This record gives sequence, C-alpha cells and structure tokens, in this order.
Amino acid sequence: MRNKRWLQISLAVLTAAALLLAGCSSNNGEGGETNNKNNTNTSTATNDKTGEVSKDPVTFSYFAFGSNNDVLASETTIGKILQEQTGVDWKMEFVVGDPSTKAGVMIAGGEYPDVISPVGELAKLLDAEALIPLNDLIEQHGPNIKRVYGPYMDKITHEDGNIYILPFTANVGGYLTEPDAGSNIWIQRRVLKEFGYPKVKTLDQYFDLIEKYQAKYPTVDGKDTIGYATFAGEPGQFYTITNAPMHLAGYPNDGNVMVDLETHEAKLYQGTDYEKQWLQSLNEMYVKGLVDPESFTANGDQFMAKLTSGRVLGFSGYIWQIGNAINNLKTAGNDDLRYVSLPIVFDESITDAYMDPPSFVNNRGLGISVSAKDPVRIIQYWDNLLTDENQKLIQWGEEGVTYSVNEEGRFVMSEEQLANRNDNDFKRKYGWAYFDYEWPRYGNNSVYEDGNAHVPFSQPEVADVNYTDGDRTLLEAYGIDTFSGFFAKPVERPWYPAWSIEKPQGSPEDIFNQKAGDLQRKYYPKLVLASEGQFESVWAEYLEDFGKLDAAGFEAFMTAKVKDRVAGKW
Amino acid sequence: MLKTKSAQYSSVGDRIFDVCNYCFMIFLVIITLYPFINMFALSFNDANDSIRGDIYFWPREWTLRNYEYVFNESNVFFATFISAARTIVGTIISVFCTAMLAYAISRPEYKLKKFVSITFIFTMYFSGGLIPGYLLIKELGMLNSFWVYIIPGIIGVFNMIVIRSFIEGLPEGIMESAKIDGAGDFTTFARIVLPLTVPALATVSLFVAVFQWNSWFDVFLYNSSRLDLSTLQYELMKVLSTSSTSTDGSAADAYANAQGNVTMVTPTSVRATMTIVASVPIIMVYPLLQKYFVKGMVIGGVKG
Amino acid sequence: MEKHTVQLTGSTSDDSRLRAYFKALSKQKMLMLMSLPFLAWVIVFKYVPLWGWTIAFQKYRLGRDIFDQAWTGLDNFKFLFQEEQFYLVLRNTLVMSSINLVLGFVTAIVLALLLNELRRIYFKRTVQTISYLPHFISWVVAANIVQTALAPEGIFNVLLLQFNIIDKPILWLGVGEYFWGILGVTEVWKNVGWNTIIYLAAITTIDPTQYEAAEIDGASRLQRMWHITLPGMKPVIVILLIMNLGHILESGFEPQYLLGNGMNVEYSENLDIFVLKYGIQMNNYGLATAAGMFKTVVSFIFLIVANNLAKRLGENRLY
Repeated sequence: MRNKRWLQISLAVLTAAALLLAGCSSNNGEGGETNNKNNTNTSTATNDKTGEVSKDPVTFSYFAFGSNNDVLASETTIGKILQEQTGVDWKMEFVVGDPSTKAGVMIAGGEYPDVISPVGELAKLLDAEALIPLNDLIEQHGPNIKRVYGPYMDKITHEDGNIYILPFTANVGGYLTEPDAGSNIWIQRRVLKEFGYPKVKTLDQYFDLIEKYQAKYPTVDGKDTIGYATFAGEPGQFYTITNAPMHLAGYPNDGNVMVDLETHEAKLYQGTDYEKQWLQSLNEMYVKGLVDPESFTANGDQFMAKLTSGRVLGFSGYIWQIGNAINNLKTAGNDDLRYVSLPIVFDESITDAYMDPPSFVNNRGLGISVSAKDPVRIIQYWDNLLTDENQKLIQWGEEGVTYSVNEEGRFVMSEEQLANRNDNDFKRKYGWAYFDYEWPRYGNNSVYEDGNAHVPFSQPEVADVNYTDGDRTLLEAYGIDTFSGFFAKPVERPWYPAWSIEKPQGSPEDIFNQKAGDLQRKYYPKLVLASEGQFESVWAEYLEDFGKLDAAGFEAFMTAKVKDRVAGKW
Repeated sequence: MLKTKSAQYSSVGDRIFDVCNYCFMIFLVIITLYPFINMFALSFNDANDSIRGDIYFWPREWTLRNYEYVFNESNVFFATFISAARTIVGTIISVFCTAMLAYAISRPEYKLKKFVSITFIFTMYFSGGLIPGYLLIKELGMLNSFWVYIIPGIIGVFNMIVIRSFIEGLPEGIMESAKIDGAGDFTTFARIVLPLTVPALATVSLFVAVFQWNSWFDVFLYNSSRLDLSTLQYELMKVLSTSSTSTDGSAADAYANAQGNVTMVTPTSVRATMTIVASVPIIMVYPLLQKYFVKGMVIGGVKG
Repeated sequence: MEKHTVQLTGSTSDDSRLRAYFKALSKQKMLMLMSLPFLAWVIVFKYVPLWGWTIAFQKYRLGRDIFDQAWTGLDNFKFLFQEEQFYLVLRNTLVMSSINLVLGFVTAIVLALLLNELRRIYFKRTVQTISYLPHFISWVVAANIVQTALAPEGIFNVLLLQFNIIDKPILWLGVGEYFWGILGVTEVWKNVGWNTIIYLAAITTIDPTQYEAAEIDGASRLQRMWHITLPGMKPVIVILLIMNLGHILESGFEPQYLLGNGMNVEYSENLDIFVLKYGIQMNNYGLATAAGMFKTVVSFIFLIVANNLAKRLGENRLY
C-alpha cells in the first residue's frame, strides 16, 4: 500500500518534470470529450440490436447542483423499488460549496457524472457541450417521456434543435392550482381579528390597518410593536423589496419586468411610477414610525427572530425565505401571532396575480452527460419512472403504507402519514427527499385521470389535515375553503416565467441587470428612510442615475424573448 | 521563584500597571470567549426554538438533537481520522521541508540565496487561477488521492520567511563553530538550527496544523467523490449545505423548500454545532505547544 | 576586429566570473540539495499555472482548448479601468486594508507586550489560548454576532444608552461612514490573539540577561518594554510589515460581503466583491483574471518599494 503511494508520488514528480520540459505546454485536459461522444454512439447502437430492456445490475452516477445529502439510491425505499424494476442503482451526489466553481472544475476536467441536474449552471454546461442530445434516445426508448413531454416539445428544445434536459414542470392531465397559495405580503392575524376580519385589498388599506392597530397597541410584552418590516438586509435577498411594485401592479413574478397580456411588451418597472408609489408609501409609513429601518441591515436570523417574536404587524417575504419562521409560529400554537398573506395591490381596479399561472420552467432539468456509460439504460430508467404508477410512488408512496384511498377513490393521508411526508428524516429514508423533485417528473400541478392530485399538498383533503382551528376560523370569516381562495385565479401567460429567460453571461443585458440592481440597493434605503420632504429630491437623483443605463435596450431584449416564447420558440 | 520576582517589582507604578493589565486581559477574555459560549449555547438549543433569537450564554431549550443530526448525517468519525492524518502528516512534512529550505536561504554564502528567495516570495502575490490549478493537479494524477492534501502545501512561503528570520537572529558564532567542527550543512541544520528555533517551529507548526485541519476547499475540488478521503470540515460543509434552503428565489426551487416542513434543524444551529465539533480538537493544539514558547530558551540552548 | 577583441575580453572576464561562481556553487552541493527540489516544486505548483493569465486576454469559455478561445486583447482590462465603480471599490479596498494593516499590527504587538508582562504563567497561557479562539469561528458566525451586537436593541446600543452617551439607538451598520471602523474593530477582535502568536515566539529569542541588566539600571516596566522587548521583536515586525504591504489590495471578502448592505454599500464594497459580481457571477473568468493580474502588479510595486525602503533604513529585508 505504502509503496504504491510512493510510486504515485515519484510518478507525479516525473510528470511534473515532463510538464516543465514541455515548456508550460498548457491546457491539455480536454481531449476526453470527443472520445466519450463516440462511445455514447456505439453503446446506443449495441443496445438497439438487442432491442429489449436490460435488467443487469448497474450503478450510475447522479450529480445535482441542488443541495441534499449524498446517498445510494437503493438505500431508500423508493430507490430500492425502482432498482427492482430496472436493475439500475444511482450514486447520488449533491454540490457542496459554490456551484459555479464546481461546474467550472467539472468542465475543465472534462469528466462528468452520468446524469447532471445543472440548476443554475445549465448555460455553462451547454456551452461546454457537456450534455448529449436526447432527441433520438427519446424517440427510440421513451414512449412515456414522449407522452409527458410531448406537449412541451417546443419548450424543451434548445435553439439548435436538440433536447438536452428534461425539466421538472411538465404538467400532465390538466392543471390543478395549489390549495394554499400565498402572496409575499403578510399581515398578523390579530390585526385582522381586531377589526373584524375586514377585506384588505389595496396597499393603502393594508398600511392603514397596521397604523390603526399600532396606535391602539403600541407595545407587546413590554416591547414596541413594529408596523412593517421587510427582508432587505442580505445581498441575496434584496429582491424581496424590489419585486413588490410588480406584484402590487397586478403582475406575477416575471423577474424585473412586467409583461403586457395583450402586446407582450416587457417593461421594466424600475424607475416607473409603480416603483415610486411603492417607495413613497413606505417612506410615508417610515415617517410615521411604522417601518423598521433594520429591514435594510438585519440578516436572516435577525429577521426570523423578529417575526417569531410576534412584534411585527406586517411584512414582506416569500414563503421560501421565511418558511422557518412561519412554521415556528404554527408549532408555537398561538394563532393570533401567526401571519396570513393577502392579495394586496395598488388600487381596487387591479386584479392580483399572486397565484402562479401555468408555467414551464425550461432551464431546470436533468440531462445526460457526454461521459455517460450507457445513455440507453438511463433513458429507459427515466421512461419507467414516468409511468403513473411510479409517479404516484415518488409523491404519495405506497398505498396502505404512506397513504390510503377512501371510498370515493380519493387519496388521503392520516395525520401520522402526513407528518411522515413532512419529516425530513423519514423523507430521506423513504426516498422522497431524493426522488420527488430533481428527476424527470410530472409537474406539481398535474392531475391523474382519477382526479387525484399528483402532489399530496395539492390535494384539498390533505391540505385540510394541516389546518389548525385558527386557520379554519380565519377561512370561515372570509368565506373561503382554502387559502388560495384569497387570490384571483391565474391567467394564462404563455411566456411565464420571464425570469427564466437566459441572459447570456457577461452580455450587456447581464451587466444592465447587475447595475440596475446595484442602484436599487443603494437608493432604496435612502428613499424609504428619507426624512420628511426629502423623498422627491432623492427620487430625482435615483432617476438620473438610472437614466444612464440602457433600459430601452434591456426591454427590447426581453420583449423579443417573450415574443419568441409566445410564438413557441423557447 | 515567581514570588520573589513579583516582590522585587512592586513599585506603585508597577502595581497600577499590573491592575490595568489584568483588567484588560479579563475584558479580552470575555469578548473573545463569547463567540464560543454563544456557539455552545446555540448548539445545545432546540433549532426550532433558536429561530426566536435571544440565545446568548445558555441554551433555552436543551437538546442533543443538533449533535445527533450532525453525527448521523455524515461519516464524521472516519472523516475526523482523515483530518487528523492530514494534519499530522502535513504538518510534519511541511514544517521539516520549510525549515530546511529556510536554512538554505538563510546562509549568506549560498550563491543561489537571493534567486531562490525571490522565486518563492513572489509566489505569495500571484495565482494562475482556479482552473489552471485544477488542471495541474489533474495532469499530475493527484486527483482522488490523499497526497493532494500534502504535496501542494509542502512549502509555506510565509512560514519559510518566519523561520528564516529566526535563523538569522541566531548568534553568528554558532554555525561558524559547527563548521569548524566539520559539520556539513545538513548536520548543522538538523543538529543545531532545528533545536534552536523550536519556538519558531512551534509557531509554524501551529499555523500549518490549523490550515490543514480547516481545509475543505481542496477536498471540494479534488476529492469530492472519494468518501474515504473526505475530511471533517468537508463533511460538516455537506451537512450545512443540506440544512440550508436555497436562495435562488426561483419558483422551481421554492417547491423543494416550502412544503410546510417542521423545522428540525436550521443552518444557524448546524453551523453552531459544526463550530464546536470542528474546532474543539484543533484548539487543543496551542496549549500543547505553549511550553515551547519559553523565554530565553534559545539563548539558554546556545550557552548549554 | 577591435570590436571582436573587446567582446572577447568581455566574455573572458564574464567567463571567469561565471566559473568562479560555479566553483563556489559546486562547493554548496548540500545547500543545493536542501533547496533545489523545492525550487522545482514551486515552479511546477506556482509558476506553471501562470499560463492561466492568458485568460485575461480572452473571452474565456470553459472546456475549450487555448487555441479555440476568442482573443479579445485588452478588453477585460478596459472594462475594469473604465468602470466608474472600479475606482470606488479600489478606494474602499485601500482604506480598509490600510486600517486593517495598522490596527492589526499595533494591537497584536501591544497585546504581545502586555501578555509578556503577565507573571502568572497559567493565567498568561489561558489568556493566550482564549484570545485566539475567535480565529476559529467562521466569518458567517462572526458577522452574525457583530450584527446582533450592533442591532438597535443590541448590547452595544444598550450600553451606550445606559451611560447616556447616546439618546436613541443608532443603526450602526446602516451608516456608511461607520463601516470601516466597525470592520477594523471586528478584524481585531477576531484575529488579534492569532496574530500575537508570532510575536510571542519572537519574544522568546530575547536574552533574559538584558532584562536583568535593565532592572539593575532601574529601568521602569514601560522602559523595559520599549527598549528591550520591542526591539527584540523588531526583525519579525519589519519582515511581516513588508510582506503585508504586498497584500495591500487584499482587504478580505467575507466580512465585507456579510456585513455589507444597501445602506453602507458605498463604503463596504471592495475589489473582491466587484470581481465576484462582474467576473465570477457572470462567468467572466477573463475579467477575474485581469483583476488578479492588476492586484499582482500593485503588490509587486508595494513589495519592492517597501523592501528597498527597509534596505535604505538598514532594517531586515524580505529578500
């Protein structure tokens, strides 16, 4: 053993010397790719001849740029069942540390895992030709893949006519809206209770209510109540405050543009009256002492601590930012201190668009790398995964074990089963944690032919188990069955979501994005925290700086891309 | 001995100085110990409860759950062994090699002294970049090996300079007389210089050991697919990255994060636990080395 | 012909000098054996990867051969130097690293001096060990503690209010002008114990008889610290100072990133964050490399000037 190691070292030293002699003849790590591609083709060919699905045991490697624990798929219940069906096992690895760096060295090294879920690194991997086209494989070995992704072919096909990844959002069998959708603007339930559960629709009404409540109850447990706070203290979370004008103006989360339903023009809302109205309202609230200035400096932990203290009457934040605090309050059991998100807009005439319209996210998905040893087996595995039966397995589990079917044929979960479905440890052991998302799959809004929801949390019967008495009181007071009842039904937006439009990295659009964001980061605190009468002059200054950027160019770029999407060119 | 000395020193000014000095030291101890007390409190406090904040010196809701989580989620024990191995092997090899080089470039008569020194010193101020560095390691066939932890770090330039300046501070005559006694350079280095620079070597050992112990980036870059070569820090990084929610902000990732899961661990709790688990072993190194920081040791050695 | 002779004599004298040089060198086989393998090592591990600097002149695309890259000349440098923000972040970088340099040196040296004056050995060792603990917490944790302490209801404001130094809480991290000071103090808190170690090692080399002699001469505590301990540490101080001056553009990255926010961004953003935003996050490896080269040039200038200055002043030199 030892000797071998030393041998390696001496070899290493020799190689080093050779490298030196070669006079820094650099960059020779890239030869592998083309060879690999050839291999791919040959193995496809051999498998075609036999024509049947092999079940020889084999282990492939899976790498995802999302976060999770490394695992061998067969160690989970779901992975084991799928292995019995196909003979395929997976060594699943997830990125640790900076994904961009990881992708960089992976590409530089030229050796890839068999399948990759690139998340944010897709553009880089495609540019490096790290993924193989799947078109022929799907054609020959993927009847189920064709069934599921068929309707989305234009969206999954890359500009060059090839399919490189299978996204996670292909809805099947219709479109079921989730029962517990939410917005990103929240109010504490006791405020609503105090004033007899009034209808709150506009931003003014929302702030009014907070103001009235704060006047009545200036302190909680000896500490001052905080009128309104937002999560803008961390560099990565600043969008919490900048996205608001878009939502308040009745548009869904399209990133930094609002897209007109008719003309499909993409317009920035930065520097518009919408943005001004939002910031001015905040400024007015601040002058009245109702906006927490710490919103701009607090880190995540501090913000969560504030929310869970019960002192904050209203706040902005997306569920994925503040889920921990919301759940904490729920387990704490005091329904008055919990929050509910509302469909707040600028004025009565606007219809809110907080509920996501049917959307297709085409830049998140799973692809096969050029290093893959046997793409055919992989495609066959995916195809097998996309049967109704296996899709139920990866979301609901096994009938009678992790869920039951009632007399009407509806899928239901008992409290214990639901607790398991939510428990991270159980999810790992069972395999949901590994199989319910980063694989070719039915989209979250899918419905089975029997009418059951694909995702348990979209099944009203399951959502209902989760409700507390406080939840029911609140829903009753507003005359709705589920929290989604607060919100307007989503409208079809064929380009949605515009945030997934790839801006070439380092392009003028990319740089515009960065600079415009920098300006917001610099000016928002100044505007919101402006002393009385100062707002207008700071706003003018902001507009002047913003005017130096090529907003029109960016809008033209986005409009063109949106129109492409509407025309079916994704 | 100590007592007689302090009796000697007791002028009024000295007394005042001592009082101020001790007060200052106690203040220093409080502010520098606080982060560890805080991490300790957070690591033993229920994660879900910690979200509420206001945990400072003592846990509010005791639990071992954070530690269970950290130990269950990763192969911490084997990784600790690898960490210890790279720390010990890496420190011994690096300190010996660095000291040897430092000796060579401290010799005024050495013709290549300046050339070698400058060649090394300049490397502190540039880097070819991540990708070229990775490709080099790959070309050398060092990917997925234990030696990638050791070989790229054989010489620490900073450490080399530190040791050199200590060697240069040794009294002139020592090495002269060794030469006269017929000792070669290596003998002089091993028999005379090494024992006389013990405080410097102890300092440098501490630097290297801490660096080795805390490293995770090289595991990330070169050995991430070899579980049997993973180190403690890297395993803990894994646990942390699993516990944190992605902040991509995209609706697609939102699904994965927001299914109403009851929080059992949070990045904050995991990080606190990690801090305790990862740093307690390495912190012990300094107290062990402190006995080599005794005043007058070098001179005493020379005289003896 | 004449010319030729001149050349010839010139080269003979060169030759003889060279010969003498190699003759001397050949007697130093052991020293060569003790250093040249490492020279090979440094060339392989540090100089060979420098081919990567070519990336600065490319629109670099990963996974492609050097011949398949698009060469863009000085575009990356132009972007860097024409960007208004670059000069702001350069200012911030220089100010922050200067503050860190001065504060870092002064505090570590003073702490070493004071620790050296502690006579209870176990107390001294305990203080030493505890004072270096914050070095082992990550910046994320450290920043979190600082943010908590500086919050409107944090300990810092509470104390200041208690002693009537301020009449209402200050949002410390929300005032740009305070950022550099906060960062400087934070760095000291986190690293002073660690930085002291090397000076404590330096103090061990001081001949104890010097102290005895000073005592007999009736020198006070402060005089002894000033005239014996400090000069004893001087060689190390000078060397470290020169080395660190070369790092003048390295002001750190994590603390600025973590403690930075919209309200102090004009003071907190430094070169590394700039490179992160426009280079790394946009996969513009060329820009990142160009910025790295710029840093190296500045480093070399500072290093060479500092080293020559030390030479002029008759102090220890780095090389």
